[in-house]
Amino acid sequence: MEARESARFEAVVLPHLDAAYTLARYLTRNGPDAEDVVQEACLRALKYFEGFRGEEGQSARAWLLAIVRNTAYTWRRRGRAEALATEFDEAQHSGAIEDEHPDAALARSAAKEALGRALDELPAEFREVIVLRELQDLSYKEISDVAGVPVGTVMSRLSRARARLEQALREEEGP
Amino acid sequence: MSHPSFETQLDAYLDGELAVVDARELEAHLAQCAECERFRDGRLALRAALTARVPVFQAPDALRQRVRAAVRAAARAPTPPRFTVRGVWRPLALAASLAVVALGSWRLALERAAGETLADDVLASHIRSLMPGHLMDVASTDQHTVKPWFNGRLDFSPPVYDLSARGYPLLGGRLDYVDGRAVAALAYGRRHHRINVFLWPSGRGPAAAPATRTQQGYHVLHWTTADYTYWVASDLGLPELGDFAGLLRRADSAAGAPN
Repeated sequence: MEARESARFEAVVLPHLDAAYTLARYLTRNGPDAEDVVQEACLRALKYFEGFRGEEGQSARAWLLAIVRNTAYTWRRRGRAEALATEFDEAQHSGAIEDEHPDAALARSAAKEALGRALDELPAEFREVIVLRELQDLSYKEISDVAGVPVGTVMSRLSRARARLEQALREEEGP
Repeated sequence: MSHPSFETQLDAYLDGELAVVDARELEAHLAQCAECERFRDGRLALRAALTARVPVFQAPDALRQRVRAAVRAAARAPTPPRFTVRGVWRPLALAASLAVVALGSWRLALERAAGETLADDVLASHIRSLMPGHLMDVASTDQHTVKPWFNGRLDFSPPVYDLSARGYPLLGGRLDYVDGRAVAALAYGRRHHRINVFLWPSGRGPAAAPATRTQQGYHVLHWTTADYTYWVASDLGLPELGDFAGLLRRADSAAGAPN
């Protein structure tokens, strides 16, 4: 790895660190694991960086997010982050959101928790399409590249995830 | 009555992923189907709730530093020297310098350098415009307010289009300074992304197809028509930005027809 190549990596990939951390944060559902996943993913990305040319239609962000996603899933399989596999845990969850924006924390504490909880309770495959689409504005094609599934699958997962979240929203606002 | 096929289509429509023809058909259906309208309202409410309440995180500083340190450490590690290619620009630069040698002229190299400077100008202007209060001199979603605003401020009247039906609402316009002249900058939106369109008369140059450049997480698109030089900058994904550029070009060629 040449110094110039690592400088290019810093310029092209590191601007997307927030996006990488956000995805990892929602996939692992806690801050410290998300940090570890992102760091490992960045080192993997660096290794494959020479194969990445930033050609038309291939954004650095989607490329990095795909690596973050795969790293998070490997992480889960290794059993090092039980949070991915276990059911939602209130104590762990509330302890793990200290690292977010202060105003986001404020908004979150002010709002009822049902929506955030419903998102956390979604299976990871559904959670990730919501995060990629609603929080990170990826196109269907980019999501399909990141998640490694056809666009049609992205669409049906999005629809089902949204239906579930809408239901949570209605219950929260309920009678 | 339920419309399962419409529901997936509606999601794609609201995500700006539906082809124009399908979008028209769907809009026609929406206008006469209360159930689909309710479905759409539910989705919009959900999107608003997600935006308001589900946070986007910022990578902790400690993580940023750790990653940077790891990258630099890897760069110092000895590996066999390899020919590296800096994106798509290196081969272009190589081709350009070969051409220079062949022609015995600096002209091409100078033009290429000028093109890059211009792209840097456009990108800097785009980034500056995203700072609070810099995006617009005239804030309006109405093309008939934005276009006349440039009267007396520029020596041309820039074409301004209403693309809100396609998911790119007009936000406003401002004066900017690019390539040593005052130019029109039009701001369009896509969800919470901003798109800046810079344009000025092209000096009757030949029309050219869009060229793309990506830098610092932003995409810059450039093309010329018979009348105008266009530069478009945004952090929007390239497929959508390409779609937007296509809409502008089509609107332009439609408007370019004799009135």
